[in-house]
Amino acid sequence: MSTLELRNVTKSFGDVVAVDNVDLRVEDNEFYCIFGPPSCGKSTILRLLLGLASPESGQILIDGKNVTYLAPGERDLAMVFQNLALFPHLTARENLAFPLRERNVSQETIDATIQSVSEKLRITPLLEKLPAKLSGGERQRVAIGRALMRKPRAYLMDEPIAALDARLREEMRVELKRLQREVGHTLIYVTHDQEEAMSIADRMAIMQDGKIVQVGSPYEIYNEPISKFVAQVVGSPPMNFIDGTIRSGTFQATDFSLEVASHANLIDGDVTLGVRPEDVALCTPDSDKGAECSIFEVEPLGAYSIVDVIVGEKILKSQMQGQPRFKKGQRVMLSVNAEHCHLFDPRSGASLLRRKRS
Amino acid sequence: MKLSTLLRHGAIWLAVFVALFPIAWMASMAFKPPLEWTAAAGNITWLPKAPTLANFEYIFFGTSDAYPSSTVMEKTALRPIFASLLVSTIATMIATVVGSLAAYGYSRHGYGKSLPLALVQLRMFPPLAVIIPIMIMWAYLALIDTWWGLSLIYGIVTLPFAFWLMLTFLEEVPIELEEAALIEGASPSRIFYRITLPLVKPALATTALFVFILNWSDYILALMLTRSKWITIPVFMNDLNSAQTGQLYGAKAALGLIAIVPPLILGVLIQKHLVRGLTFGALKQ
Repeated sequence: MSTLELRNVTKSFGDVVAVDNVDLRVEDNEFYCIFGPPSCGKSTILRLLLGLASPESGQILIDGKNVTYLAPGERDLAMVFQNLALFPHLTARENLAFPLRERNVSQETIDATIQSVSEKLRITPLLEKLPAKLSGGERQRVAIGRALMRKPRAYLMDEPIAALDARLREEMRVELKRLQREVGHTLIYVTHDQEEAMSIADRMAIMQDGKIVQVGSPYEIYNEPISKFVAQVVGSPPMNFIDGTIRSGTFQATDFSLEVASHANLIDGDVTLGVRPEDVALCTPDSDKGAECSIFEVEPLGAYSIVDVIVGEKILKSQMQGQPRFKKGQRVMLSVNAEHCHLFDPRSGASLLRRKRS
Repeated sequence: MKLSTLLRHGAIWLAVFVALFPIAWMASMAFKPPLEWTAAAGNITWLPKAPTLANFEYIFFGTSDAYPSSTVMEKTALRPIFASLLVSTIATMIATVVGSLAAYGYSRHGYGKSLPLALVQLRMFPPLAVIIPIMIMWAYLALIDTWWGLSLIYGIVTLPFAFWLMLTFLEEVPIELEEAALIEGASPSRIFYRITLPLVKPALATTALFVFILNWSDYILALMLTRSKWITIPVFMNDLNSAQTGQLYGAKAALGLIAIVPPLILGVLIQKHLVRGLTFGALKQ
């Protein structure tokens, strides 16, 4: 029953506009990711929501109520900081108890809540330890546990698992998603890791230079990026971009041409073609369609492989199922799935496809 | 490699020797009878040949059989020791408490980048430059030769140092810790006492020790602002001479040895914190 909203919010630090006229609405029980490159203003959005920073203009609403000038303690939000902000002089138990102690909850309730939260996060044996004696993953759990102690209107997390190693991160990702479903609360999650955002979010917002450039489900963002920037930052390996021109329904680059007639209403002119690695197919040279190219590098990753090929002077990435046995320098034919291509304005970076559709 | 290690150790031992020799000499002197104090007839006495407690007897009772009768004095060291302890302790409390609170306020809500430097600059010029105006002020305020007057000036003089030291420590405390508490509805004073203060306890101990030593070893302020009742150890030490015998080295050494004790005890008590305090930045998680 909690929605969070920013309306035309602007916040700057000196000459730097950290958050630039942002509108954002997080629905109830939603797992909402804010994703963007470092220092694009995503953490500032959390600080604004929490009341740790106040905006120059605009409104902040929680459940439709204007909280722009409310003190942090009165907003009833819980936060997991990037550096976790566990109190180093308090044991894990006292760290967990802190939010309730500050609200004068009885000791029995505190004990009961600690028990249920620590069971949920499997940290019961760690309760008497100081944060310094805990491993990274354990600290992580305690920090999340501290946020779970209350039933706030929403949870906010600022890259809470960025400091963990890759395997632990994947584990925590799944666990966070499970927790959010269990607890059934609104959660805003800030990250600069696109994979994390994609895998975890119900909906995600992409930020660039203090602005939210696109909001949508991970699939929407992935399949219909609104701009070259979004296409670039979402997806791994990243999308291939080729500069060229459109001449009567055909994309033409120096060493490469592609029939894109299916995307109707294209105006002739300069464009940037974007194609995801999984839509780039490679086959043996006897096939006559596509462009000729040579293998540059193969990264075998087990279930699939990433193959770098040289087309003219450009290196393109292709993601292939299975374990293709290519040799470096081998000649192959490259074909592109025209259905899944993206076309961007080479100057503004805006998607030409979306604009036509909408 | 071998030679460089040797040289390094040599240098360290030399430094230790240079630092400790005067103290060792003083300790030895404190137990020498008057005849052994100076190198009479070219005989330097390194260790007391006839160890005696006469020097201690003299400073605590004003007279000793080993001393010439002309040296008998009315004052004893008891009162100055008490004065030094009282005044240094109170001044340390003033400087540490006020300095910490000011540093906290400045580090969290302060304006003006050059304020800390400006404050420390107050410590840069010699106290001698302001001692006469202070004397006159203190005289008008009837603070001359009172324990509170001396405590006050010590507290003021060491305040910038306490402020500066605490500021560097407080700025190392991650702001997120306080923000985390703020989100949970903790009031500013609760945040300070429950979160920040416990974290800078080692720093507080370090600051208190340094400030105490500064106060404890002051001479000029005590000399100018006290007359007789509240003279401190350094001033009293200067009185330990007589027209006939000149400097009473043994008595001075005995008093010096006693003067080492309080800072030493304080240092040992907070040693655990001290090491952490001095390397606080390196240990931050």
